[in-house]
Amino acid sequence: MTPNMFFLLASILFSIGLVGLVSRKNLFVLYMSIELMLSSVSLLLATLSKVLGDASGSVMALLMIGVIASEAAVFLAMIVHLYRENRTIDSESFHALSERENNA
Amino acid sequence: MLEISIFSILALFMIGGSIAMIINRQTVFSAFGFLVAMIGLAGIFALLNSQFLAIAQIMVSVGAVVVLSMLTILTVNANGKNLPDEPNKTKWIIFSSVLVTPFTILLYKTLTTLPDHFSTMETINSKVIGKELFSEWVLPFEILSILLLSAMVGAIVIARKSKRKQRRKS
Repeated sequence: MTPNMFFLLASILFSIGLVGLVSRKNLFVLYMSIELMLSSVSLLLATLSKVLGDASGSVMALLMIGVIASEAAVFLAMIVHLYRENRTIDSESFHALSERENNA
Repeated sequence: MLEISIFSILALFMIGGSIAMIINRQTVFSAFGFLVAMIGLAGIFALLNSQFLAIAQIMVSVGAVVVLSMLTILTVNANGKNLPDEPNKTKWIIFSSVLVTPFTILLYKTLTTLPDHFSTMETINSKVIGKELFSEWVLPFEILSILLLSAMVGAIVIARKSKRKQRRKS
């Protein structure tokens, strides 16, 4: 078991999250893709902590889990708000802050 | 050898779960794929000898975040015409995968310049993490607690029904 396997897994997970972020329109899938990218970074931190023999990386991963939780709370509240206003979870149909006229 | 096979199974679970997450049209199935990926991540943390991190991952990511997002998905209950129509979804996913692949290879190549062996150290249990967290990382810890509090307040404020709309209805 070498660190390279973990590095490869973290890179693949980050890329899958990136692909989901740019190619889907469903707000929930966007949210879960962002979570997946953050989780892959926390996997990387835990691996580096074991490679360098220092517990700081694990502590950073632990703090990152807290950041993920707070991000989840705000993002889900935002999705509920947007769905209540517009009755859709299509990320392309929100024009509230757009400069052009609401032509959707 | 046993470790490698466990790692392979967990990695397959994670990659399969995340691919199922971005491919499925129904949001609930995406959430199930995400759940599988998060449980696999907890297993990999345990494989890295950081048991406390694995437990925290199970408790926070699986127990709180995934359950909260599933509850929201079931409450919103977008189906049929409320779901965004994505006629070219598969095409877009393949296209962006091709675009992202060089980035993945670059990331992996960069990371492999690090030493390719684990240091021999004791397991990172809660004692080590606790000592580190409350000596060197105490300021980020306090900032994180403020961040969690403000996120909670912000979530309540955002998700509250706006008064303007209520008045319009009545």
